[in-house]
Amino acid sequence: MMKRHSGVVVQIVGSVVDVQFDNHLPAQNELLYVIDRDRTVDLEVMSHLPGGICRCIALEATDGLSRGLEVQSTGAPISVPVGEQVTGRVLNAIGKPVDGKGGFSGASASIYRRPPALTEQSPVTQVFETGIKVIDLLTPYAKGGKIGLFGGAGVGKTVLIQELISGIATHHNGKSVFIGVGERSREGYEMAQEMAESGVLKNTALVFGQMNESPGARMRAAFTGLTMAEYFRDVQNQDVLLFIDNIFRYVQAGSEISALLGRMPSAVGYQPTLAQELGQLEERITSTKHGSITSIQAIYVPADDLTDPAPATIFSHLDATTVLSRKVVEEGIYPAVDPLESTSRILEPGIVGEKHYATAKRAIETLQRYKELQDIIAILGMEELNAEDKLLVYRARKLQRFFSQPFSVASVYTGIPGKYVPLERTIEDCNAILDGKCDDIPESAFYFIGSLSDIEGYKA
Amino acid sequence: METISVYGSIAEELKKEVRAFRFGNRLSDAGRIVACGDGVLTIEGLPNVKNGELLYVGGDKYALVMNLETDRVGAILLTDSYELGEGDIAYSTGKIVGVPVGDMLLGRVVNPLGAPLDGGKPIESKKYRPVEAPAPAIFDRANVNEPLLTGIKAIDSMIPIGKGQRELIIGDRQTGKTAIAVDTIINQKGKDVICVYVAIGQKISSVNSVIHTLREHDALSYTVVVCSTASEPAPLQYIAPYTGTAIAEEFMHAGKDVLIVYDDLSKHAVAYRAISLLLKRPSGREAYPGDIFYIHSRLLERSAKLSEEQGGGSLTALPIIETLAGDISAYIPTNVISITDGQIYLESELFRSGVRPAVNVGLSVSRVGGAAQCKAMKKVSGKVRLDLAHYREMAQFSQFGAELDSSTKAILGKGARLTEILKQRQASPVSMSHTVIALTVMMNDLFSDVAVRDVNAAMEGFFDFLDANHPDLIARIEETQVLSDEDEKLIREYLGAYKGNVAHAVDEVRAAQHTAQGAQK
Repeated sequence: MMKRHSGVVVQIVGSVVDVQFDNHLPAQNELLYVIDRDRTVDLEVMSHLPGGICRCIALEATDGLSRGLEVQSTGAPISVPVGEQVTGRVLNAIGKPVDGKGGFSGASASIYRRPPALTEQSPVTQVFETGIKVIDLLTPYAKGGKIGLFGGAGVGKTVLIQELISGIATHHNGKSVFIGVGERSREGYEMAQEMAESGVLKNTALVFGQMNESPGARMRAAFTGLTMAEYFRDVQNQDVLLFIDNIFRYVQAGSEISALLGRMPSAVGYQPTLAQELGQLEERITSTKHGSITSIQAIYVPADDLTDPAPATIFSHLDATTVLSRKVVEEGIYPAVDPLESTSRILEPGIVGEKHYATAKRAIETLQRYKELQDIIAILGMEELNAEDKLLVYRARKLQRFFSQPFSVASVYTGIPGKYVPLERTIEDCNAILDGKCDDIPESAFYFIGSLSDIEGYKA
Repeated sequence: METISVYGSIAEELKKEVRAFRFGNRLSDAGRIVACGDGVLTIEGLPNVKNGELLYVGGDKYALVMNLETDRVGAILLTDSYELGEGDIAYSTGKIVGVPVGDMLLGRVVNPLGAPLDGGKPIESKKYRPVEAPAPAIFDRANVNEPLLTGIKAIDSMIPIGKGQRELIIGDRQTGKTAIAVDTIINQKGKDVICVYVAIGQKISSVNSVIHTLREHDALSYTVVVCSTASEPAPLQYIAPYTGTAIAEEFMHAGKDVLIVYDDLSKHAVAYRAISLLLKRPSGREAYPGDIFYIHSRLLERSAKLSEEQGGGSLTALPIIETLAGDISAYIPTNVISITDGQIYLESELFRSGVRPAVNVGLSVSRVGGAAQCKAMKKVSGKVRLDLAHYREMAQFSQFGAELDSSTKAILGKGARLTEILKQRQASPVSMSHTVIALTVMMNDLFSDVAVRDVNAAMEGFFDFLDANHPDLIARIEETQVLSDEDEKLIREYLGAYKGNVAHAVDEVRAAQHTAQGAQK
């Protein structure tokens, strides 16, 4: 039994609470709680200050707390339930149930640990198909890999991640973990509802630290969910799917309290520890020789600025990045993937095959050329282009529209049922467009179709 | 040497005392102001004060506790600082900042602390709610499944809003943002929806004209106006939206449907930035503090549709954000876009070229409202958005002299007429059935022979024709909320009968408008 100590609240500034202890200071990352009449408020130790003071972050709102309140240490960091007991359940940022289905009695684990050693990790080499044309073709995802969906506000990150969940998780045999960090509570509710309806929920653990919660809760939700995924990977040797919406909010929560913790602000007001904080989380999301974690992470891009320190730092942790852009949204194309900004590490002939690689390369080249021609068109008009370039422009525009796709999760709004397109079909259709086999079809016919066979009168 | 050792032992004694010193519960609830300036107070004493507590500092002045430091308390003044200074006493009130709530607020104009501003009698209520409150938990919510009609054709059809949704209204100054919010309030008349209008940092005359418009349209009786004007201190502007939400929540938790308008959150962000900088908290992008996202997220998350167990009430929010030079991707706009369930984007180019409401369809979206649309609306509006987006893109591309095939021409013609039919005057709400019929006509290309500029007049003539000859159709759509295939056929049939009168109707509507304008002058 760990020895417990008690201290006293001496300072409260925003979400940061200083607690004074007499002789024994609780360790860093230890969980404490303030006793305020009929309620308790959880704190986590962040640093030690001179004079026997622990600087802590509150995991709940600090309104109504006062100096002089008693604080108890628990002798351990936050520990959360793991294993079979968490599947089918909805938990909060510190692993407490929020679905009203009762508590947990099984195994539990601390949310802090080191990433697997170098020798334990395994490289990713296997493609997995999503059924989304533009993603499978241009930014193929890898099994056991780390995938990032970047996008500014309201360009469709959450819809895309929901489509991926409904497309992949429903066919996935292993366990899944969904972590909602700093996103809308309404989405959390809908996610839980949809998963229950589609039957995915029984193999999934949901963890939420949403945008109405304190920065402390939003910072810890990602670790809580990740700890559950690691247990499935390491102890049960499973292939795990991990969805995080949204990893930027983890960084943002850290920056909200950084200054209050007494740190100097770094670029754009972020915490000086941004890279370490991200590294501590991201390096644990990885695949080992025993099991894999395939992670799909949504990343909010503040002010549509991809050079913002947070998204810029996250980029380097990922194997495939799908970038959603407002410009594509304005053209009415969904998913609003920017094909020229998106990348994948496994788009190599050795992994995806010669044909796929060549087709993807050709599509990118065509779209890049069209982008270059757009300036000329804007100044001189279409008529000034030579015949070859004109043809290229029309084919590129058809290809852009072909990359739009009806989503099953969006069918409520669009009235169009979702379409899953196998990779083979996508490659063939893409070549058909670039070879000029569709030159007679008006470009409006390419909006929101699955494969080309959805166009009336098209013959392959 | 003797003296030194005596001093040494005294120092030791003092150190021991200091080490043993504990902040206990002492019975005292007052403190002395030691510094005062720019609305920020530093107070010594107040040992038992709570974080977020309201302090009384004499006269009619109150302050809000922001920082509880080891030996002092940081507070912000909610009133002006005239005649307040160093040495004055601050008293603890034991209360977290709260407002009176309840039915007696309907039709009233109050400040963010609940004091009346309309010259009426003081607000007396037994019930107070703290202005800051946690948002409904995930499992206390229900799906958004009921429409909240704005009475604006473009919005009800393409960017539908559901009860419990948060829909941002965003655009440059003078693009009609407030007008959309006020029109929506007006359209709630007789629909059993309570409205709260929160003015943040506005000039008094603008607030006055909003109140005037509401009163003119009989909308004030079901509305509460919470007002913090530009001249008031930043802390008061900062708490205004939370106050409005607390007032709205009281109704929501009583099972009612509530609509709240925050006009506008850009000024709210600026007020919070001022407070933060005065409290010497470090700043980030555009000098806003790190938690600028959190002040808006925890505010807007309080809007929700509650589950049946929680009474089934709802709180729908229409926050307003003002952009600069149409820059929708600036910091505060993208922050709020990422919180809300969609945005209505108003564009000054559209506004100036006569498209009013100046909604940019491509960039406007509603993430949940579609599920809340009634069947009739869903049936006709499904493709309107996409058609218009393609029209805009195509219109732009065809400017560069590309050859137009017939399908492109059709898209352009249809788009131009659709744009025309979606134009609408301020404070003239259109009922659901009228919107449904108008869109049925447009989406089936039944007006393709009417000149673009005559489309609206011809449609008005058609409604007059329906009112005169077939009033049952409109009544049926309103009542069943469904557009049956038979009714759709009837619309085509009636339109066929009316078609002969188009030219006449257009002239008549024009003449009527002319006289109306003449009368106004």
